[in-house]
Amino acid sequence: MEKMIYAIVSVTRDTEKLNAFLSGIKGIAGADLYAVCFNEISAVVSDKERATLIADKSSAIEYAEVIELMAAHFTLLPMRFGSVMESSDLISKMLERNYIEIQNNIQKVENKCEFGLKVFCDAEKLHEELRRKSEETANATPRASLEIRNSVYVDYVNKKLKEHKLEELLLNYVDSVIAGISGYVDRLQAVNKFKKMTTALNIIDAVFLLEKDKKDALIHAVGELQNQHASLSFILTGPWPPYNFVDFIVK
Amino acid sequence: MHDNVIDRSKDITILELLDRVLNKGVILTGDIVISVADIDLIYVGVKLMLSSVETMERLKSGQAIVDMKIR
Repeated sequence: MEKMIYAIVSVTRDTEKLNAFLSGIKGIAGADLYAVCFNEISAVVSDKERATLIADKSSAIEYAEVIELMAAHFTLLPMRFGSVMESSDLISKMLERNYIEIQNNIQKVENKCEFGLKVFCDAEKLHEELRRKSEETANATPRASLEIRNSVYVDYVNKKLKEHKLEELLLNYVDSVIAGISGYVDRLQAVNKFKKMTTALNIIDAVFLLEKDKKDALIHAVGELQNQHASLSFILTGPWPPYNFVDFIVK
Repeated sequence: MHDNVIDRSKDITILELLDRVLNKGVILTGDIVISVADIDLIYVGVKLMLSSVETMERLKSGQAIVDMKIR
């Protein structure tokens, strides 16, 4: 029977603990969970009958909940929703084939958890503020003596230059906010990944991997960052299993 | 905490959760994977949800939200 895989767990000394834990929780649609092992690594799976699995939002949430429950007790590598293999035997062979990479990734995330930070801006206000700054800078710069007035071409070039300048100012501003965030999270020895300008409003989308006991320090840091940037909204979520910090593709 | 902050926080948590479980994590590739249908469709739903979160952000800014899941 096909198996839905939820996560890969390292259980050097905790095999009994894992089995006891899995007997106390259920998978998607109430399916029983169990471990398929190779040496000290195990894949947590449930039997999947094609007819019973509907790939909808609630199934994805149930799947994520199983991973979260396990992450509170074990170091694990979360699988992406929809990871299904034909049999326990094939899963065991997959663990064997990818043993070294699995171990390397487990070491990387041991006793750590992930947090997400989204920074939103009021795009109109921010653009207006930057436009004003840009115009102030332009006015302070002496104009070229050979400037040709009333030319369509010059108007077009000036418009493009203004747009370019505005974009540059926006990116510089976002970089300065990222530098501020990095200053705080580096002190917590967190691994971080930043994405800029994912949408016009979401100017920063960051994820951090840090030791579980540094959670309160991170919350405090985000509070301070919010105080420094009153026109932005900082949204911190977590702790999450380390979804964004598993860097390998299972073969 | 104000009601709309709680609602917004709940939406963001679900969005973040779905984004991770559908788009991140260890990936199985090749012949060994049997895919589940309609996952792309769920992801379209997630993108729509992001739009609604952004709309809420447009209405209110300057407030940090720390959304810690209860363990």
